[in-house]
Amino acid sequence: MKRDFIFSSESVTEGHPDKLCDRISDALVGQYLRRDPLARVTAECAVSTGILFVAVRLASDAVVDVPFVARDVIRDIGYERDGSQTFNARDCTVMTTLSEFDRSPLEAVDEMAMTHADIDRVVARDQVTVFGFACTHTPTLMPLPVWLAHKLARRLAAVRREHLPELLPDGKTQVSVEFRDRRPARIHGLTVVTTQRDVRAGDADRLRARVREFVIEGAFADEEIRPDARTRIAINPEGVFAGGGPAAHSGLTGRKTAVDTYGEYARHSGAALSGKDPSRIDRVGAYAARHAARNVVAAGLATECEVQLTYAIGLSAPVSVQVETFGTSPIDEGEVERRVRAACDFRPAAIVRRFGLRRLPPARPDGFYVTLAAYGHVGRIDIELPWEQTDLVDVLGSR
Amino acid sequence: MPASQSRAEASSRHASETGHDASIVHATVSGRVRIHVPSLYRNRQVALSIEQALIGQPAVKSVSSNVYTGNVLVRFGADLNPERVLDLVGGLRMDAAALRPGCAAVSRERARTGGPRLRPAADRPRAAWHTLGHEVVLLHLETTGEGLSSDEARQRLQRYGSNELRAAVQRPLSDIVVSQFTSLPVVLLIGSSVLSIVTGGLADAAVIVGVIAINAAIGASTEAAAERNIQTLTRFSAPPVVTARDGVNTLVDVAALVPGDVIRVRRGDYVPADARLIQAADLSVAESALTGESAPVSKAANVLVDHLAPLGDRVNMLYRGTVVTGGSGIAVVVATGVSTELGRIQDMVTEAAQPETPLQRQLQTLGHQMVMVVGVVFGGMVLIGWLRGYRLIDIVRTAISLAVAAIPEGLPTVSTMTLATGVRRLRERGLLVRRLDAVETLGAVQVICLDKTGTITANRMVAQAAYVDGRRFRFDTGRVSDDAGGDTVAGNSLMWLLRVGALCSDATVVANTGARRVDGTPTETALVHLALDLGLDVAWLRSSFPKLSHLERSEHRMYMTTMHATPEGRWLLATKGRPDQVLSRCGAAVSDGGLRELGPAERSDIETENESMAGRGLRVLGFAFAEVDAAAPDEHTPLVWAGLVGIADPIRPGIRSLIGAFHGAGIQTVMITGDQSATACAVARAIGLSRVPRLEVLDSTGLAGIPDELLSALACRVDVFSRVSPSNKLQIVRGLQRAGLIVAMTGDGINDGPALRASNVGIAMGRGGSELAREVADIVLLEDDVAALLEAISDGRTTADDIRKSVHFIISTNLSEILLTLGATALGFGVPLNATQLLWINLLTDVFPELALSVDPAESDMLQRPPRPAGTMLVGRTDYPRLAVDAAVMTGAAMTSYVYGLRRYGPAGGAGTMAFLTLTGAQLLHAFSSRSETHSVLEWGRPSNPWIGLSVAGGFGVQAVAAVVPWLRRLLGTVRVGAGDVALAWGLAGVSFALGETLKILTHDHGSRPRALPAPQTPPPAVADPTVERRET
Repeated sequence: MKRDFIFSSESVTEGHPDKLCDRISDALVGQYLRRDPLARVTAECAVSTGILFVAVRLASDAVVDVPFVARDVIRDIGYERDGSQTFNARDCTVMTTLSEFDRSPLEAVDEMAMTHADIDRVVARDQVTVFGFACTHTPTLMPLPVWLAHKLARRLAAVRREHLPELLPDGKTQVSVEFRDRRPARIHGLTVVTTQRDVRAGDADRLRARVREFVIEGAFADEEIRPDARTRIAINPEGVFAGGGPAAHSGLTGRKTAVDTYGEYARHSGAALSGKDPSRIDRVGAYAARHAARNVVAAGLATECEVQLTYAIGLSAPVSVQVETFGTSPIDEGEVERRVRAACDFRPAAIVRRFGLRRLPPARPDGFYVTLAAYGHVGRIDIELPWEQTDLVDVLGSR
Repeated sequence: MPASQSRAEASSRHASETGHDASIVHATVSGRVRIHVPSLYRNRQVALSIEQALIGQPAVKSVSSNVYTGNVLVRFGADLNPERVLDLVGGLRMDAAALRPGCAAVSRERARTGGPRLRPAADRPRAAWHTLGHEVVLLHLETTGEGLSSDEARQRLQRYGSNELRAAVQRPLSDIVVSQFTSLPVVLLIGSSVLSIVTGGLADAAVIVGVIAINAAIGASTEAAAERNIQTLTRFSAPPVVTARDGVNTLVDVAALVPGDVIRVRRGDYVPADARLIQAADLSVAESALTGESAPVSKAANVLVDHLAPLGDRVNMLYRGTVVTGGSGIAVVVATGVSTELGRIQDMVTEAAQPETPLQRQLQTLGHQMVMVVGVVFGGMVLIGWLRGYRLIDIVRTAISLAVAAIPEGLPTVSTMTLATGVRRLRERGLLVRRLDAVETLGAVQVICLDKTGTITANRMVAQAAYVDGRRFRFDTGRVSDDAGGDTVAGNSLMWLLRVGALCSDATVVANTGARRVDGTPTETALVHLALDLGLDVAWLRSSFPKLSHLERSEHRMYMTTMHATPEGRWLLATKGRPDQVLSRCGAAVSDGGLRELGPAERSDIETENESMAGRGLRVLGFAFAEVDAAAPDEHTPLVWAGLVGIADPIRPGIRSLIGAFHGAGIQTVMITGDQSATACAVARAIGLSRVPRLEVLDSTGLAGIPDELLSALACRVDVFSRVSPSNKLQIVRGLQRAGLIVAMTGDGINDGPALRASNVGIAMGRGGSELAREVADIVLLEDDVAALLEAISDGRTTADDIRKSVHFIISTNLSEILLTLGATALGFGVPLNATQLLWINLLTDVFPELALSVDPAESDMLQRPPRPAGTMLVGRTDYPRLAVDAAVMTGAAMTSYVYGLRRYGPAGGAGTMAFLTLTGAQLLHAFSSRSETHSVLEWGRPSNPWIGLSVAGGFGVQAVAAVVPWLRRLLGTVRVGAGDVALAWGLAGVSFALGETLKILTHDHGSRPRALPAPQTPPPAVADPTVERRET
């Protein structure tokens, strides 16, 4: 295994077209669950120039004004009418396809009211391998590159609202971290790409200075490892162009799975996380795996841990539970895996029940899922996520 | 708004200093010159000022300007020349005041967008009065809140013209008559009469001209009658308006209003011009005619609206053609007459060209085919004659008679009669058809666009549901049911809700013998109706709790409160309004038999229910009340929650089954609405709009930004278009048409006008509909009964089928005439039939069967099969072999008869007479065959058509008479033949008929078909599907 290397991860702001799609998808999931916690819903979006396509498949009587929710999200993100923008909350066209799931095999089930035997009867309806990862790079037990990339992206979005109104909500960041002995040592380079409404002469340098001041310095203010003199900082390396967001490039739900998870530092499933209700194992399985990995690291059983769960159609329990500690475990890896299996119930209904995934949208005014769509579904500190709790530390730590 | 203000001023000043940038388009005709003036384009103010300035010049005879081309045509006398006229136009100073209303913003907007791309007029922003404060507006219009002086008003009236819309789009009689002569078959007919005159057949020509005249008379009278009927539908003339003139409020005629006038409107008034509000007291306006939104819009004077906001969102403006439903207001007129938004929609209607109907297209193609056939036959005849060594004059005469044979002289009569019959039938079912062709087009319709408000829904508000004390209620025409579904009585707690609704209301019950009437805003009317329906004595309630004062809703307080005296001398507060705001003022809620505390759980339940009701497309109101001591209650007096009521525009009965029937007939249904998508989706689901368990909704206010091809591709998939503007409707219809579909559109509002006109069949509501909608539609539903459309579609399809049958009959019989003449000539037997005989056949004996075929009854599965594909021809490639075989069989019989006649009588008359008799006989009998392309006459159980038998009998009768009456024999050039030979000739005709039917049975395998007595009423089994079979042939 390599000990010294450079690793880069990227993140995008909530105004990136792909993320915009993720966000609308998750806002819809949240709105449906708010009205009907037992709703089955899949919401997928695609956006291109002035048109947003939303496909909602549904098994529920709940009624949601889909274009209204979508426009709300677009407005919230910051695409508002200002004359120059062709894509904005008010004028964009929303093409909605509402279709019904065949309800018979999908009768509504409430995991909260289930017995052990009931939970066994709820089987995976899809085959998927999901991964969860945790490491000691940061207090949130996330890999440093993606953590920093998210931080920059988040900062970029916030700064846009407060200081740089000429920017569009669409932006991209990338951070390269130099590792020595598998520990982050320094920032090798970082890139920030912004989009702007228009290009005025002399703007490029001013913009560069302000991004450096507000975004980069702000983001690294409380970090241990900061850019040094040799760090290559690229702000809009290809130049400053006018236009961005969905008016300039298209977007699709589920195309930013690496950004949603570990920035490719660890493995992640190809399946999208956003736009799916909690009955979808490819979404909640990833959360459960992260929960397990995080608790393994938090319990001191490893400094790096990847949990892999494989589900097969028609089975309730995962066909495979693999725990990889990359040689960082003080105890036998097999023992760690045994403890994880014993401590975590990975059956689909058990996960929904453990995390209370159906009741989160009614309980939180924003509908919960919409907040997951940008800056990662895991390793968040700004929102309270059930799968980020270290409630299994005691169970895992004891024999 | 200082920036936009100064910009507007700057641009108008700019325009006023430069004058017109004009150029001569052409001046080749002496005394006339056409001049292009860019600033004239789409600007009626400029048009008026140019016209008035030029007509004042001594040598100018007439001026006509066209705002769509930007050209002015000037006719002038000897004292002028084109260059001088150009100088005159170019030198005209733009009158700054004339430019202002409406024009500054247009020129500015065009300068910025720059592109030459033509967009529907309504998309292009005009004067942005809604973005300016009303003081600024008054300043711009050089008026004050006190209004104009009479003198000034008179001057402005001269300058801006009268506040009238252009005269309704009526079809003048001359137009109707001329349109009867434009189809190609009629032109061919005229051609053949000319041919007849050339060849000396004056009698023939007279007969043909007579046919043309009869044909035109039938068509024109039918269309004119429909036109008259439409004109007699209620015509609305607006009452005078309260207008401030010379500082005094006087009643002024609507036509005399000018920009700058200050008008007062109150509940029930029609808004007479576009105006900017100066004051509004609880003003609400129903704008559905203009915007398609069924709920009235609350208006306010002291708000500014975004420059690009759609009409429906410009809450500080009033628009002509809308109706005040509540409150009152004072406003300054900013645009009159054709400059109003309504005038612009009229413009769009004029610009939206009416598409060619499928029948026109098919007859056109048929005509071209006939011209080719005539050409080939003529050439072939000349060639054969030349090879045979005939004299040139004989060859040409025969060739001309052949051309006469080839032209389907009976066709125009038959198609006109068929369509006219259809129009009459539909009239009995409450459908007024304005154009004959519309009947047939209706049968070809592949997509029907339904305007939601007014077509699918009733365009009024009705209380549908309530949520009281944790229970859900549904209301249905005076009945209450709870969520369990069963009927229930209105409990005590529901009664409280109704009382609040009846008290906190400005709606008045008009005591009327017979029908009860409630006057007020749609929402309040709906609530009072509900209270009355459920047995509340509203009159008693209101007299027992007299209203003391009321607090109107405002921007920050989205609810209204009324205060009433109770019989016990206390005060009763009744509040209704936005549920969340009303709820936040409540501490307790009505419960069965008393009050209970409103805990967080109850509040959350109410909020959830509110959202759920709103999600179902209901307009939700919250109700609360309080009884307090006489001390004046204030904003903070705690209230008692009474419940929620959901109100909606109810769906017309029978729509769901109608939509199902449309789908059964293979017609795609599309709903178009200005409403939000939640409302639209709720309605779409309720009526089963989508054929599959999937609903496609396109929600957009800006379809203009979508490329044409994409819109057209999307339009074919979409079930619901929500939040669309009037110009979007036009785009949707065009998008569907670009995809090759035949589109019908229903509508009732002014805003539907352009789309109604552009669609292949525009259908307007006769009762609730606006005048404009009725005037541009092809079909008007007198009773607003959309279900009648279904019968009309069936009728249209039958008509199309019948025209097809007639055409096929005409083609095969005419072909047999050609084959006979060509064949006999080629074989050296001479010419069997002369031109008169051929005309006789085409105009007399064959016309009866053609007419009988044209009223052939509908097949029972008419509405279970898809519409015929667009572009289907009356005579297509697949029809050629059958038509040729039919013609050959008839020719064979006539040829046999002719050869027999030659043997017996020699070439002088007798042989021709035999051929004439046999051919007419065979053709008459062929009428029976022509009823179906696949079914033989032996099959039972098909709808019978007694007219066929009668017409054939009549045809034989006419032939018999022609054979007996000497002068007719002379006219036709026939001779007397023996009775035995007549029997032989007709016998040969019978053989031809039998042979034709046998061939039909042989070519179509009827083995699997139940031959005897299939029940005609039941839907046919799958194998008997005629469409499937037709594809196999």
